[in-house]
Amino acid sequence: MKSSIWLWRVLGLTTLACLIALAVGFGWALKDTWFPEDGLAIPETEDGAAATGGAWADKPELFVASLGDSLTYGVGDPTGRGYVKRVTDRLGDVLNKPVTLVNNLAVNGAQMKHLIEKFNETGFKYAIAKADLILFTIGGNDLFQLAQDGGSIIEGGDLSPELLKDRLPEVTPRLEQVFAKLRELNAGARIVYVGLYNPFYDLAEMRSGSGIVAEWNAKAYELAQADGNATVVPTYDLFETNVTKYLSQDHFHPNAEGYDRIAERIMQALN
Amino acid sequence: MGNLLALVQNETLKVWKKKRFAVIVLILLILIPVFVYAQMKIAQTNEEQFKGDWRANLQDRISDNTRALSSDRIPEEWKQWRRALVQQLQYYLDHDVNPQTPNAVTFTKQFIDNAVNLFIPLMVLAIASDLVSSERSTGTIKMLLTRPVRRWRILLSKLLTLSLYVSLIIVTTIALCYLISGVIFGYSGWDAPVFVGFQVNGAEVDTANVHAVTQGVYLLMQAGLVWFAAMVVAIIGLMVSVLVRSTAASFVTMMATIIAGTILSAMASSWTNAKYIFNVNLELSSYLRGTPPPIEGMTLGFSLAVLGIWGIGALFVSFFVFTRQDILN
Repeated sequence: MKSSIWLWRVLGLTTLACLIALAVGFGWALKDTWFPEDGLAIPETEDGAAATGGAWADKPELFVASLGDSLTYGVGDPTGRGYVKRVTDRLGDVLNKPVTLVNNLAVNGAQMKHLIEKFNETGFKYAIAKADLILFTIGGNDLFQLAQDGGSIIEGGDLSPELLKDRLPEVTPRLEQVFAKLRELNAGARIVYVGLYNPFYDLAEMRSGSGIVAEWNAKAYELAQADGNATVVPTYDLFETNVTKYLSQDHFHPNAEGYDRIAERIMQALN
Repeated sequence: MGNLLALVQNETLKVWKKKRFAVIVLILLILIPVFVYAQMKIAQTNEEQFKGDWRANLQDRISDNTRALSSDRIPEEWKQWRRALVQQLQYYLDHDVNPQTPNAVTFTKQFIDNAVNLFIPLMVLAIASDLVSSERSTGTIKMLLTRPVRRWRILLSKLLTLSLYVSLIIVTTIALCYLISGVIFGYSGWDAPVFVGFQVNGAEVDTANVHAVTQGVYLLMQAGLVWFAAMVVAIIGLMVSVLVRSTAASFVTMMATIIAGTILSAMASSWTNAKYIFNVNLELSSYLRGTPPPIEGMTLGFSLAVLGIWGIGALFVSFFVFTRQDILN
């Protein structure tokens, strides 16, 4: 009986203390939700990532950032690795040091205007600033949209190379902006732009599109050359013979083998 | 008053001696290490992939969720949830605050968030469902009711005992979580900042009222809200325990209701009247976290009101029935 009384005293007081603590927490939550105060001051921090630069050979570790559209994300590749993972892996093997992908920032369906908007986001700035190597693809969706004579393909709209040719000057200035912005965010990184290809090369009426794609790639190369530490990796020739062997089911994105060949090209350009 | 206190003492000791609480502690001691281990594995994978760079990790979550938004195969409600999440994560990134510092307090916070829907109700009902019906099944209720004590006082003493145990269960869960996960993740993190006050309006997150609190304060507020939800579950469980003769039946009834609630909240966004059911409103801590509610238009005030009304109704039914019903064999 005596032990019972002690048990009750301990149990009663402990549980009562718990009850009071939780009731206080409950009240606090209501107050904080309905009558919020200023709360904790968050210390302002300087930008976390330092722009790198310098020779790769001197660095113990390399960082890669990739951005752009579905090609960079790796759509069509059943392994999900795309060209980005292949390049980072191979680069690590070749240089014999850890090569880390900071972020793959690609967004499916992205056009240049989307990418330019994204450059204002903290995470984009951070990843780009941290990188020693920046891989990107952009413009494919822009051109595809320009080539459509209104109406989508499904609704019976058609792709027209002539239309694309006329409207190309509308979008080329944006590519200039993309290159400029990248360089602004990271002064020292090597920038690799993966050039466009014509996924419809095997369709006779679309073959003339290749000329416009070449024009686009030339423009990109001009920008890269002006930059000094950037390059354009050509891919158009990879998707002309045996198109179906290297394109995925959607006849637009590369498949695993296609990405493998793109990665091979990038490796050749880097080393 | 002395009379009532003696009754509460009696009830408290009865529950204790039935070793109900010991079972709950045992379950916690087994379950928490399992989750700690799982969390440790996740942390290791992240460490490998991001080399401890939480900003890159956070941006990856943002990118992933953004990509999912562009998919046509994802239902609109999920997109809304993701949109809100992206905006929240972006807020953390913009203010250079890591939302998931790896420590025991963060783990505890997440565990409680996940436990509020099923696990905590389960533990609470282990005691609540038994409180009256066990007296019936063992026949001791006759002894209890032939004493010169008013029936409502007996039920009130059971209710008070229940509140004490609900509080004890929640505090014990938090304490054990903290102590066990601290072995792996370290015992720091009380003063890490957390943002509260996100207001979700449809697809947009209003950040006008967002402010930072320490993780310790957040945990206290979260515990308070979880406690309120658990109390309502306990009271409704008590009512069922009064109405149903067998402990097993009353426990199963309540658990079925709770489980139905979690299923409903996952799919009820088109059946808006479901928001008046108590079991859809249990996740009060989601308002603190700022994730979109299961049904549009639900707010903290709304959920508290719904739970409050259900609780008061259950209390009324319990007392009404308990003071009047005939005790037959």
